[in-house]
Amino acid sequence: MGNKVGVFTDEQIEAFQDCTFFTKKEILRIFRRFRELAPNAIPKVMSSVDTNRIRLPYQQVKAMTELKENPFCERICQVFSEDGTGALSFEDFLDLFSVLSEIAPRELKTVYAFKIYDFDGDNYLGKEDLRSTLRCLTRNELSEEEVEFVVEKVLEETDLDDDGKLSYIEFEHVISRSPDFMTTFHVRI
Amino acid sequence: MAGYGNGYGPSGQGQDIPMQDRSHFNPAYRDDSLQRDRVAVDMEGIRMEERRGSDGSREYCPEGSTRRRWAATAEPRDTADLINALPSRQLEQIASGVAAKESIRRRKSSRRSIHGTLRAARGKDANEVADSFTRNDDYMDELDGEARTTETLRRMVLPMHDKLSIKRTTSETRKQMTLKRGQTHKKIGWWKRTKYSIGISWMHFKHRMAEFAYSLELWRSHMKKIEGHFGTGVTSYFLFLKWLFLLNIPVFTLTLGFVVVPQILYRYNIKVPSGYGFSVNETSVSFTGEELLTGGNWFNNTELYYGFYTDQVIEIPVNSTTSYNMKYAYLFTCGGYYILCLITLAISISQSYKMNYIEGSGTHTFYNVSRVFCGWDYNITDKAAARLKHKSFYNEMKEYLSGSKKKSHKKNMEERCKLLFLRVLTNLLILGSIAGLSYLVFWISGSGTLKGSVYILSDLALSLCVSAIFLVFPPIFSKIAQFEKYEEPKNELYINMIRTMLLKTCVLGILVYFWFTDTAKDKYSCWETAVGSEIYRLVLVDFFFILGATFFLEFLRRICGQYCCNKGNEEQEGQAMGPEFDIGRNTLDLIYSQALCWLGTFYSPLLSLVMMVKLFIIFYVKMVSVLQNCQPSLRPWRAAKSHTIFMGFLFFFFLMAMVAVAVGVIIIEPSKVCGPFRGEEKAYSIVTNLIDSWKGDLKVLHDIINFISSPGSIASILVALCVGTYYMRIVMIGHKEMVTLLRQQLHMEGRDKAYLLRMLQDVSQKKKEKLGPSNVNRLLSPTSNSTLEAGQRTAGRRVFARTAADTVATMAPGNTRMRNLNGVLR
Repeated sequence: MGNKVGVFTDEQIEAFQDCTFFTKKEILRIFRRFRELAPNAIPKVMSSVDTNRIRLPYQQVKAMTELKENPFCERICQVFSEDGTGALSFEDFLDLFSVLSEIAPRELKTVYAFKIYDFDGDNYLGKEDLRSTLRCLTRNELSEEEVEFVVEKVLEETDLDDDGKLSYIEFEHVISRSPDFMTTFHVRI
Repeated sequence: MAGYGNGYGPSGQGQDIPMQDRSHFNPAYRDDSLQRDRVAVDMEGIRMEERRGSDGSREYCPEGSTRRRWAATAEPRDTADLINALPSRQLEQIASGVAAKESIRRRKSSRRSIHGTLRAARGKDANEVADSFTRNDDYMDELDGEARTTETLRRMVLPMHDKLSIKRTTSETRKQMTLKRGQTHKKIGWWKRTKYSIGISWMHFKHRMAEFAYSLELWRSHMKKIEGHFGTGVTSYFLFLKWLFLLNIPVFTLTLGFVVVPQILYRYNIKVPSGYGFSVNETSVSFTGEELLTGGNWFNNTELYYGFYTDQVIEIPVNSTTSYNMKYAYLFTCGGYYILCLITLAISISQSYKMNYIEGSGTHTFYNVSRVFCGWDYNITDKAAARLKHKSFYNEMKEYLSGSKKKSHKKNMEERCKLLFLRVLTNLLILGSIAGLSYLVFWISGSGTLKGSVYILSDLALSLCVSAIFLVFPPIFSKIAQFEKYEEPKNELYINMIRTMLLKTCVLGILVYFWFTDTAKDKYSCWETAVGSEIYRLVLVDFFFILGATFFLEFLRRICGQYCCNKGNEEQEGQAMGPEFDIGRNTLDLIYSQALCWLGTFYSPLLSLVMMVKLFIIFYVKMVSVLQNCQPSLRPWRAAKSHTIFMGFLFFFFLMAMVAVAVGVIIIEPSKVCGPFRGEEKAYSIVTNLIDSWKGDLKVLHDIINFISSPGSIASILVALCVGTYYMRIVMIGHKEMVTLLRQQLHMEGRDKAYLLRMLQDVSQKKKEKLGPSNVNRLLSPTSNSTLEAGQRTAGRRVFARTAADTVATMAPGNTRMRNLNGVLR
């Protein structure tokens, strides 16, 4: 180990390793990417207070190549930020990529996917949430009737108790039957 | 506290509820007495009003209910709170419960109820969650507690900051408890201490292995670039290539360690033959460059081929007692790596099948939902690719909308007959062409006229012919398949793949047949080396054809596309030009190459090294070509299902190769002049001789083996396997029926819930009207709150509903509807 002053102390690294699915090298790499987003705002050495206190506003996070082209970028940042505005501290940033990594288990990803698609935050995927999702995916190119039709079809397929919206359990039931979910809901960093 | 959607609380002013709160006004609370089954767009039978929100969006509400009426009263607060209190809404709690169950399933050792402590994590902050951790002995155990805490913590849905503080708190508490325990109790026993240290060192080892593997990870940055530009479909091809490359590594190491190195040591010691340049009858042959192409002449007497290996018992060091029998080594190494490949393939294919077919199937198809929720590939980082993905999604939706709007054209008898006749004709045509090509290959390998005329090409004639067939005919087959008018493009793709595989299997089968019957007839020449060199040539020419196809089909097509078709493209500025990367064809090429390698490794032990080099070069060539020349495809590629199918093909080819080599070992007589099995009747007879030799001193082993390999026991094992498979199938059918039944029950329960909630709304509204607006909050007074909680705690909604109905009945005895409800519930 030596006396080199690293970015984090050993306890911090160990704590990060235990709370995410990353190894030490990956954590350091992610920190480098984080620092690249705003080299002036983020110090080279982060204490455990800094990792929570220093937040990057959403506009700066959005510039990252992995998130730039994602239509759900805003929702992702909002879900992982502590105050819901999309400003991410390093801990939130690490959490984001840990959940979206390859090794994260399906259940964890399903919960976060549910939160991301839940635009109004009421713990249900109602019609408005589905409409917003579709609009993000097609960039507003489908007409209103088409969106409505697809939303109805989706609810038809998944709404088990017929209340017009998807609860988490119904969503999880669908996702566990979709083998493509794990490969698409994955960001490599 | 968390930022996870706090913005949904009602505004409380009673005026216009802002747009994002509209989710409360659930249009599903309709009049259920009309017995409709499902939500339909046209909603027949229910008069629904279309309302335009102030942002122009539309909403369907039951007629007569006005948002203003709901908004004007404070009622939404009551029912909204009630809805929020429902257990199915508690997202964090459900997720934590799942996390706890998962971690328990993995540990399999904890018997205490961890559920209770984590379920209580709903809505509490980090300190309280940490308390529930510390209260549970399993997490505070000094040996295992940390590992258990880590595993559960990783899977919990909490903000990172909370997780870190929980971890810190639990570590400190654990340390304190350990110290306290150490002072009062006696020391932990010797066994526990060793278990602890082994566990810790194992964990450290795992961490270090993970880091090492991470730094070694092959081609990670390249994969990322491809993924960013093309998405998961094209990446699946490169992942498959990487997997095949990694699969060849143990095969090569085994042959190197057990077969090649002893042979080299033997020659180094004994010095027979004394160099590489001697052919069978001791005439010297020199190395010229052409051997790399033909794989013959100089290479015939190197370790590349079977013929060079000795059949002696090697003593290392010289003249000592430790002996190394080359015959056993060669045969058992071959068996060893085949079994290794078999196990790897069987495990991968069963995992893949389980994930993609068993869990992915079921009584309902989730077509639309999968499209919507798994439709966006989060890997895409390139702007053009993202635009194309949006377009692809849009096209898919449009296709689905137009397809479902028009009714599928029912074919009448005549059209069906015509289609059937057409399909029979095309299948006959294709089978006939496969048979014809096989005969052609057989004739070429047999005829001597083609050989000897041209310098190098005569040797390569067979390989060139085979590779040319594989290049030209599969596209012809797919063109023919277009005439067959399959309804789904997915079916057409599968049919094409099956036909291509059938062609390759037949051609390879004919070649193997030829080698075993014709080439192996002459026992006084080294026929195994001839077979080995033939396979080497096939592998090499296949490699050149792949490179050539990449060059011509992708590079030149892009150039042509760029320079020839410039006319109509001014408006599509910036659009990527070029062909699409054909994932299916390329993956089938890889599978064929690997099958050749498996076929040939027995006769040419270094072939796996050749294969590894080939795969390595192909990766870089294909990567450059894809990034420069190809554009992402508009059609989505179902990577998961296709992966299972490709693994299936690979497994099939592996079995065929294994059968072919087994036939060669067990039935065909080895040549008499070269190789480790010279002079034996069959290569397999060394095994039977070995077992027979045990009759003397290891009689028990001999008897056991005889018993196991007797026809009776093999037959009974097969019968047992069949019975087991049948049983599994019956269980699966039973489960499917159960799932259908449970779905119906769930549907009914959902309708019950909606009905009861609506009753409650009516009740509370009536009560509010009766009591007047000042007493509106009495509804959620402690008494009714306790009713709610009582309902939740005790079993189910029926009790709750009955209590609510009691409340209602006492208040409004004159109301017939409520009395009916009472009557129903009693």
